[in-house]
Amino acid sequence: MIEVKDITKKFGRKKVLNGVSFTANKGEITCLIGINGVGKTTILNAIMNLTPINSGEVLIDGEKIHKESYEKITFIPDAITMLPQMRIADAMQFMADFYQSWNQVRADELLSFFKLDPNDRISSLSKGNTAKVNMLLGLALDVDYLLMDEPFSGIDIFSREQIADVFTSHLVEDRGVVITTHEISDIEHLIDKAVILNDGVVLREFNAEDVRENEGKSIIDVMREVYQA
Amino acid sequence: MNIKLNSRDPVYIQVIRYFKEQIATGILEPGQEIASRRELANKLKINPNTAQRAYKEMEEQGLIFTEGNLPSRITKDEVIIKHVREELILEAVNTFIASIQSINVPLEEAVELIKKNYHKNPNEQEGNQ
Repeated sequence: MIEVKDITKKFGRKKVLNGVSFTANKGEITCLIGINGVGKTTILNAIMNLTPINSGEVLIDGEKIHKESYEKITFIPDAITMLPQMRIADAMQFMADFYQSWNQVRADELLSFFKLDPNDRISSLSKGNTAKVNMLLGLALDVDYLLMDEPFSGIDIFSREQIADVFTSHLVEDRGVVITTHEISDIEHLIDKAVILNDGVVLREFNAEDVRENEGKSIIDVMREVYQA
Repeated sequence: MNIKLNSRDPVYIQVIRYFKEQIATGILEPGQEIASRRELANKLKINPNTAQRAYKEMEEQGLIFTEGNLPSRITKDEVIIKHVREELILEAVNTFIASIQSINVPLEEAVELIKKNYHKNPNEQEGNQ
């Protein structure tokens, strides 16, 4: 389980996170929802310890993040971090050199799943295919937790569907996934838990099926409620 | 699989309903093997945990059964299948009655219209409404 406990973060005098708490379970897809600028990416950075937080703590399976944790949790940022002149094969080699948890069998499976050619240079890829390579590089790691920042933003509908398919496949099975989005409708039926954020705080954290069952509301209904309250 | 999910009803209930319809109409036959939880999640684009929950619920209701590690199958129990069919019919009739009562249509007139329109194809019926 990832436990985010009352974290705060300031950029200069600007408070971005104002005491954010939530949990994300293994084997579940947790979605951080909020409009742009609400601090979603900062939260993911804070979980990965890529940005210092001012107070609060983050625990992964009960432990604070340390060097070995990066074999257990990974972050797929919203843009690819590989050099553009690299071929997909080079990028995979880079990951293999860097991480013990790199799983080439799974990487090859993902290549065919996404219909990618390992000899293509990253700079030559379309936006949708670049996003798929970015996903591949994270998903091929044998980690327990995956954080994905806006995996669906700015790509065409078919690539979006293909990426969404990953979530129902064995490629994600039993792992804990935290994704951020400002566009929930595509993935409404895919997620277990929603965490709605605004102004650096969690407005509501709920299980999507429970809310449908007990209140007869969709995730969007709940968002409308909390944002317009 | 042809199923349109809405976003307000629990997904697992919508999945169970879909299976009930298939069982009642005989598209899924008694004893027939069904998709694994993961295959179902993948086909319907739903969360695998939700598919799991739907199957668990159907197992508890006796709609499907699983022997050991084999794929789940549709029940062979005729009483249950009959019950599913009756449940769906009653539900549809009750919905119909509620909407027909809300516009004060007498029973005789409703029955007359049912008889008249029952065998027409759905597109034609829409034109008549």
